[in-house]
Amino acid sequence: MIPLEYMPPLMFGGLVLFMLIGYPVAFSLSAVGLFFGFFAIEWGYFRLEYMQAIPGRVFGSILSNDLLLAIPFFTFMGAILEKCGLAEDMLDSMGQLFGPVRGGLGYSVIIVGFILGAITGTVAAQVIAMTMISLPVMMRYKYNMRYATGVLAASGTITQLVPPSLVLVVLADQLGKSVGDMYLGAWGPSLLQILFFALYTFALSIIKPHYLPPVPKEDRTLSGKQLWIKCAWGIVPSAVLIFLVLGTMMFGIATPTEAGAMGAIGAIVLAVIRHPKLGVFGKRVFIVSVLACIAGIVAYQFNPKGIPFQLAFGLLYLGIAYMCVRAAQLADLRSLLIQAYQSTARLTAMVAFILVGSTCFSVVFQGVDGGRWIEHMLTSLPGGSWGFLLVVNLFVFFLAFFLDFFEIAFIIVPMLAPVAQKMLAPIVGDSAALIWFGVILCVNMQTSFMHPPFGFALFYLRGVAPKEVKSSDIYWGAIPWVLLQLVMVAVVVAFPLSVTIFLDKDQKIDLDKVKIEIPVDQGAPASTGDAAKDADAAQKAQDDATNDIQKALGGGDSSDAAKDAPKATDAGKDAPKDAPKPGDAGKDAAKDGAAKSADGVGKPADDKAPKAGDKAGIK
Amino acid sequence: MGALLKLSSAIDWLNEKLGRLANICVLLACLVSAANAMVRYAFDISSNAWLELQWYMFAVIVMFGASYTLQKNEHVRVDVVYMGLSERKQIWVDILGGIFFLMPACVLLGWLAWPFFMQSWDQNEMSSNAGGLLRWPVKLILPVGFGLIALQGISEIIKRIAALQGLIQIDAKYERPEQ
Repeated sequence: MIPLEYMPPLMFGGLVLFMLIGYPVAFSLSAVGLFFGFFAIEWGYFRLEYMQAIPGRVFGSILSNDLLLAIPFFTFMGAILEKCGLAEDMLDSMGQLFGPVRGGLGYSVIIVGFILGAITGTVAAQVIAMTMISLPVMMRYKYNMRYATGVLAASGTITQLVPPSLVLVVLADQLGKSVGDMYLGAWGPSLLQILFFALYTFALSIIKPHYLPPVPKEDRTLSGKQLWIKCAWGIVPSAVLIFLVLGTMMFGIATPTEAGAMGAIGAIVLAVIRHPKLGVFGKRVFIVSVLACIAGIVAYQFNPKGIPFQLAFGLLYLGIAYMCVRAAQLADLRSLLIQAYQSTARLTAMVAFILVGSTCFSVVFQGVDGGRWIEHMLTSLPGGSWGFLLVVNLFVFFLAFFLDFFEIAFIIVPMLAPVAQKMLAPIVGDSAALIWFGVILCVNMQTSFMHPPFGFALFYLRGVAPKEVKSSDIYWGAIPWVLLQLVMVAVVVAFPLSVTIFLDKDQKIDLDKVKIEIPVDQGAPASTGDAAKDADAAQKAQDDATNDIQKALGGGDSSDAAKDAPKATDAGKDAPKDAPKPGDAGKDAAKDGAAKSADGVGKPADDKAPKAGDKAGIK
Repeated sequence: MGALLKLSSAIDWLNEKLGRLANICVLLACLVSAANAMVRYAFDISSNAWLELQWYMFAVIVMFGASYTLQKNEHVRVDVVYMGLSERKQIWVDILGGIFFLMPACVLLGWLAWPFFMQSWDQNEMSSNAGGLLRWPVKLILPVGFGLIALQGISEIIKRIAALQGLIQIDAKYERPEQ
């Protein structure tokens, strides 16, 4: 029999060992969890009933988690956008715009990477689309190969830092923070990051001018008005998509998940509009829809949600529906869509199953006091909070050589989150601590796409680059950009303000007010038997619940409410009008959720609590 | 072995059909979710049944899609060591992993999930949200899904053993999924 205090390190070692074998991570993880769970039961560290928590959690925090639904939506959107020619138009026009300058093609790739990043949330689509278009052009004008491949991979990878990044959604979920705050926190670093990229390009164009030659005048086919029209043709649809995905969320019209779904529909509509076989009728429908949209927006100013507004938007929706039908009719578009949703389904199942595996692992890991082990290890580091950040960043950086970000986010982040909250709160305040931490990790995990030889972005690049591009050029080319990303990590760590500057400052005060209303003590001590193991979970649930309440109470700012769950939206600004539930649903739900997680013996994840509480109860 | 291979292709057939269902759910969930937001904004109509339908479909994507993903060999691996192995050794990793990791895990998870479903079934549980959906069908997906993966695991093991014996050719090549 192994003493309890040795179980967590052994489990951790087992995790590393089992995963290295190379069997799919999802099942290796579950196997480690259940294997150690068996011994823990055998030796009396917890009872079999405790393991009953697993299906509850799988159901509660994975299957019924609205936020994870954003994964298929963003992936689907990315897959459509990759093929619909938006990237081509933008790169072509931007390339011509910046062409005369040394390094102009580099700038255009960086800017387009940023804009595309603000539309979609997946890296693969972007690296592939940009490489296919820009790499041949850069090669034609004798750009240095290492620079060319590096800038493409890095500018594609930035997608995962620029909202609405999928990484941020997943991190928000795992850290128990709202997606909207996560997005706000990521804007600063992502802007700084492209600034760094541009500065590097600029510096290189001075030091080694022949690396980045300007495009000769005779090759610039467009100029003046034509060029601007071409630019607009790329930028206007992008702006609309950015509004669909980010704007609707910010204004509290849609939840992050719904925003992803609307983005995907928007991408389908865009693909239809740009299709050469759209036909005259289709174009008319499009024009009418645009006019209806404008009319609707104008009508809203005079009479929000009045009949004229509803008529106009009804017409717009009909137009969108028609476009979707057209998409199914056009043969090549249909096969593109089918291909897109097939690969999306497999990716989603794959990702969600890593989460199933990590749930098995973490339930048992918490059961043998793994949380305390990690906390003890990390809080006793020299240098306090800064030592913690240094170690965690190095750890994640090296893990990223072997694991991709989903695995890191699902396995490592939940272990670190409670410690991070404790260690970082003194620096940036309670509410911002995990946001800051999440953004740091997100910047750091960018490198996992980029470092040779396992970086995903490099794989994609290799996959679509012409034959004459050497793999060694791709690998060497990536290194300066990985260094730039690491500099960025240091900047975000050293200047928390770069993250917190856009965050809501009033949060802290609200939180304190709310905390008094909820008797925190009722939750944890009430738990008995095996549920005692869940005391921590209950505590966290309480915290989450508090957050939810705070959101519900902050009714003036509906965007906050919309960030978490559809139900929360209803509890926000629109509650009196259209909510299927009472306005204070968030509050009741949160209470329920906290109570549930404590009283259900071995069933912390009961879904009987309403939505908001549901989320809280599981965490 | 012939009978086993027949069993294997029957399992593959079943999971492929369910995988197709999961595929279509991506598109449907997307349409439902976008429509929810659009209709709520313009017409102030909102229904918990439709909101819940989104994640019911997500459950289908995940639990039915997983076995199909296994069939397609697209579950992500830590491939540092695996990629360096010969094809025969990779097949051995898959066989042993299937027997010792996947099968016990999925059978156990399915077994744990069964009472979770039964409780809901006995109560004829409804969603606690006003106008929500009946809850047990989505909870049934849990044990069924784990069962399907275990089945697919059997099929994969059979195929790999047959491949080692040289009875069939399989495309065991693993590529990292795009993301």
